[in-house]
Amino acid sequence: MQTRVDPFLAAVIHGALENIAVEMGHKLMRMSYSSIIRESEDFGAALTDATGRQLCECTMSTPLQSGPIPGYIEGIMRELEARGDVVQPGDVFMHNDAYAGASHGPDVGFAVPIFHQGKLAGFSVTTAHHLDIGALTPGSCGIVDAVDAYAEGLQFKAVRVYDAGKKVEPVWQILRSNIRIADLVVGDMEAQVAAARIGADRYSDLLDKYGLETVTGAYEDLLDYSEKLMRDAIAAIPDGKYNARTYIDGYLDSDDPALKELPIEVTLTIDGSDILVDLTGTAPQTPNKPINMPLVGTVDCAVWLTLRSILLDSDEYGAIPQNSGLTRPISIHAPEGCLANPIFPAPVIARFCPGNAVADTVMKAIAPAVPRQVSAGIGNLRVMAFSGQNASGPWVHMEIMEGAYGGRSGKDGMDAVDTLYANTRNNPVEDIESHLPLRVLNYELRENVAGVGQWRGGIGSIRSFELLEDGAVSVEGDGQRFAPWGFAGGKDGAPAHVELLHADGQKEELPSKIPYRRLAKGDRLVAYGPCGGGYGDPFSRTPEDVLRDVLDGLLEVDAARENYGVAIVDGVRLDAAATEELRAGR
Amino acid sequence: MIVLGVDVGGTFTDLILADLTKQELTIHKTPSTPANPAIGVVAGLQAICEKAGVTTSQIGGLFHGTTVGTNAMLEHGGSVTGMITNEGFRDVLHIGRHQRPQHYSIMQDLPWQNRPMIRRQHRHTVGGRLDARGEELTPLDEAAVRDAARTLAGQGVEAVLVGFLFSYVNPVHEKRAAEIVQEEMPDAFVTTSSGVAPQFREFERFTTGAMSAFIGPKVRRYITELQKELHDQGLKGELHVMTSSGGVATPEMIAEKPASTLLSGLVAGVRGGAWIGNHAGTDRLITLDIGGTSADIGIVVDGRLAEADTRSASIAGFPVMLPMIDIHTIGAGGGSIAYIDRGGAFRVGPESAGADPGPAAYGKGGDLPTVTDANLVLGRLAPQNFLGGDMTLDVDASRRVIGKLADQLGRSPEETAEGTLTVLNSNMANAIRSRTVQKGIDPREFTLSGFGGAGPLHAAEVAGMLGVQRVLIPPHPGITSAMGLLTADLEYHALRTAFAVKGAIDHTRLTGLFDDMQSELSGIFDRDGVPAEKRRMLREGDLRYVGQGYELKIDFPDGPLDAAALEQVWQAFHDRHRTEYGHAFEGAPIEIVTVKMRGLGEVEKLGTPPEATGSAEASPVGHGQCVFRVEDKLQVFETPYFDRTDLPVGQSMQGPAILLQTDSTTVVPPDWSFEVDRFANVVMTHDGQ
Repeated sequence: MQTRVDPFLAAVIHGALENIAVEMGHKLMRMSYSSIIRESEDFGAALTDATGRQLCECTMSTPLQSGPIPGYIEGIMRELEARGDVVQPGDVFMHNDAYAGASHGPDVGFAVPIFHQGKLAGFSVTTAHHLDIGALTPGSCGIVDAVDAYAEGLQFKAVRVYDAGKKVEPVWQILRSNIRIADLVVGDMEAQVAAARIGADRYSDLLDKYGLETVTGAYEDLLDYSEKLMRDAIAAIPDGKYNARTYIDGYLDSDDPALKELPIEVTLTIDGSDILVDLTGTAPQTPNKPINMPLVGTVDCAVWLTLRSILLDSDEYGAIPQNSGLTRPISIHAPEGCLANPIFPAPVIARFCPGNAVADTVMKAIAPAVPRQVSAGIGNLRVMAFSGQNASGPWVHMEIMEGAYGGRSGKDGMDAVDTLYANTRNNPVEDIESHLPLRVLNYELRENVAGVGQWRGGIGSIRSFELLEDGAVSVEGDGQRFAPWGFAGGKDGAPAHVELLHADGQKEELPSKIPYRRLAKGDRLVAYGPCGGGYGDPFSRTPEDVLRDVLDGLLEVDAARENYGVAIVDGVRLDAAATEELRAGR
Repeated sequence: MIVLGVDVGGTFTDLILADLTKQELTIHKTPSTPANPAIGVVAGLQAICEKAGVTTSQIGGLFHGTTVGTNAMLEHGGSVTGMITNEGFRDVLHIGRHQRPQHYSIMQDLPWQNRPMIRRQHRHTVGGRLDARGEELTPLDEAAVRDAARTLAGQGVEAVLVGFLFSYVNPVHEKRAAEIVQEEMPDAFVTTSSGVAPQFREFERFTTGAMSAFIGPKVRRYITELQKELHDQGLKGELHVMTSSGGVATPEMIAEKPASTLLSGLVAGVRGGAWIGNHAGTDRLITLDIGGTSADIGIVVDGRLAEADTRSASIAGFPVMLPMIDIHTIGAGGGSIAYIDRGGAFRVGPESAGADPGPAAYGKGGDLPTVTDANLVLGRLAPQNFLGGDMTLDVDASRRVIGKLADQLGRSPEETAEGTLTVLNSNMANAIRSRTVQKGIDPREFTLSGFGGAGPLHAAEVAGMLGVQRVLIPPHPGITSAMGLLTADLEYHALRTAFAVKGAIDHTRLTGLFDDMQSELSGIFDRDGVPAEKRRMLREGDLRYVGQGYELKIDFPDGPLDAAALEQVWQAFHDRHRTEYGHAFEGAPIEIVTVKMRGLGEVEKLGTPPEATGSAEASPVGHGQCVFRVEDKLQVFETPYFDRTDLPVGQSMQGPAILLQTDSTTVVPPDWSFEVDRFANVVMTHDGQ
């Protein structure tokens, strides 16, 4: 491969770029106040060039945060151009426009421009999910009935929060007066600015040391490098069209058929080393419900993430720099006005679950072409926002409930884990109960529900919360109607569900989307996570693996016999002869 | 008094015997015996005593670094372990933080699910629950604990962890349950999560407790057997084992807290580096210990070994909540392989040719280009003088493998060899930056100490990349770790969760927590027989702004903690936050999350290093054509090779030069000068300082 910079120097510069992004993320995570950033790690940090091409990203940041960063910069630049405005040294921009690069409103980006010898040379950017963004109800998750973009909270389109080095106080005042729990949120924003500035300083030093031309050459090489790896991997797949369709819940309790059981359709066309991802067939946008997905910022990230995780699996390839080169061979098409390409001002704030369903559908489409590199269907996630008001003021807590992976070639699915484009961390029970009027009653694996297969699906969790004082909850989830798909002879997994147990003993099954709902002290929410699909013929699962699940209390003896053809005596011992007979007699 | 340091590594067991009165050192290396490391230790003990002309009974203390616990974790070879935990929380260890280690991977494994230390079938739940303040919501179901213990005994479990929510605030349920389990399983290793790591975050605390139980029986067995073997050999002095925090502990303490040995074998190097640095007049040091496959980096600030914060420490992919020295290990060493990856990028490591077949230069069938081959091609290793002449290097083989790589890259062999070193050195420099620049520390104010077999080869060029002006190479780079063992004091830690916010501090309670920890540690020192005047108690605390999730460690003053004393602490926190992150939230409320006490018990150890004798004049033992990059161009220098033990003391000389000795080779690049100091260290200084 022809390179612009000698391979040794290039390796040195690439290492330096990685180091900068890691430092930004490290500092942001450690400085920030809200658990969504510091514990869940729902943040992004990256450097881009002057046009927004991403050079490197922080390895700790979550893909759905770092992925959109190039879009944020393109959006900012477009907005500035429209205003006839230019970037100056010392500026810091705030941006969250879901129709101009951002993933959705709560993911606010802060961009610090980098100048080299008087010219704009790039941006240092941090993004993070904020607890509240001044929407119609408390919290920034579980807003499932915003009627349009304006109902979703404050919109920032390339807003200067520092103007040539000077803090723009009025903007910060607007933030403080329009955001609930402003101390936390504004503290996190200040941390974002501080971390982005560190990245800018370091990048600037790098440019001083090696010169713009060399550094540019080195990262152009890096983009080519990532592109080549992706192209080689795509070229290895037989040309052709690969199609899959899955369904999301939408609003299961709605009377409007256009709002529930909505198709997500993906057709991949592989032509040499190029992939066209076409979402034609996906349901039309929901004009007054916020489950629409920005094409840039959500759908593109979901597609890229899935394809690179399958085709360039880091477990096999090692760490490949995430940059704009990786996405060059991939083009994405979604008809205007569909869920995957909504028209402004269609609301988008609850795009998280449908986006992960797009990722799952891409995997389902490509699975027959690369069966050893995929998992069976994944279980989607749900986000719960708890809130309330007490003597010490308003409180908001967001909890992302895990899904599970499907079985894989040679391996069971990952149990109770964030899936695909989401990779956050849970909040420790001891952290939650120390700071909030909530009690966690249990946190375990579900039993006897795993997706059956030679490699069983990952098992979902059960987690329950009790309100210790009056409060409220909002839920933004999906995957309660349709079970994750089984693959290659494996059976489907199990859908999720959520129960509300009232303090008075009454039990209520809840749909996957619950707008702000008041709860009384003593009410309990019980969330059952989904289980991933099974992979391969269950009668090929080794009896030892089946026995292990029985001993571990994850599978009942009867189910072992029925689903796997494995006979277990006294609940602890394999009966080899009986097993053989069962398996032969199928 | 005579003391002995024994550092058991993967390949070799290094020993160093010091006669503290006569100021004499004896050194010995013997092959390790991984199946039972005690065999190698005893063999080494006998050999070194003979070499030094002493008997084992004259040895007053034996200081030991072991990897038994570390390997049990890395190889997943611990005991069958059980757990008793709260009803409803059977799978805390399995779900973890519900995060995947890799963002972009479908086929990855989750260590806690694929290699569980405690299988689900061995995790039992019982009734009983505390709230966040430690108050009882449901009493402990003692009958259920007893039933569970009986079941575990029937399941063949050797070690049991008792882990309950909020035990760090109130350990009452854990303690009672542990008693019951021990009654039912008298031979089992029983531990509680609060006894191991009394800090909040249940997954991390339970995991640390599980680790202690998992490796506990193995470590305890090893230490007991070793003690017996040593006793049989006639050793009368005490055995001390190095812990992850850089101090040593008695066998009794290790038996109680086996997980404290997880970094035992690693930290001694940093300790040794710090001691040498201290005598060379520097207390700000970067230690770079490079072996065949990895480089271990440690930082010493103002004489103190930098510690890992509790949220960053991990081993074998599992989080560890124990006091540990911050050692950053990367896959970069003499055996690291240079290659072009499938995307066409040039890389060095982390894959290593190891010791077998090793680099092509070893002539043992290695046919991949390594860092050692690159050093040889550039003339930086003397083929006839490797390992003091014990091994001859095959220059032609190195040229062949480097040449092949060079052809693929379309570069000259010299460029390729030099590029290999540049990339490796740059990886190490980046690793050092992550522990210095990224934490607000300017490495240019530091000295870099290179040791281990390959450290002295790379130290100067890594220093150059960081702007470090001074490099220190200890007299015996290969046994710096063993030496470090002889420089440590007894060190124990106590910790309490405080959760005290500025403005609402109960001063009496806070002072009480420290008093309580002081008496806990005093009890241990009483047991160890450390006299009062040899004890030191240092106060520390982990602080954060209210709402943050990561803490910074701040020193606390002695005496009553009144408002004035705490004012100092608050200010120190703001300063530290600004230094470390580049920003402080002045005016925001601060929370003391945990308070800690570090107890040091002085033991007899190495005083000053032996004085160098040196020669009157330096005379090269040979010359070589060495290639260096100077002013961004590759240039060939006629370079003298010196026998390091035959250099004059205190006489500055100009690089380039190659210094040969039995256990290592030191490279002095052209823009560096060097001299031997009075303690036989080689001190390199960057020209133009």
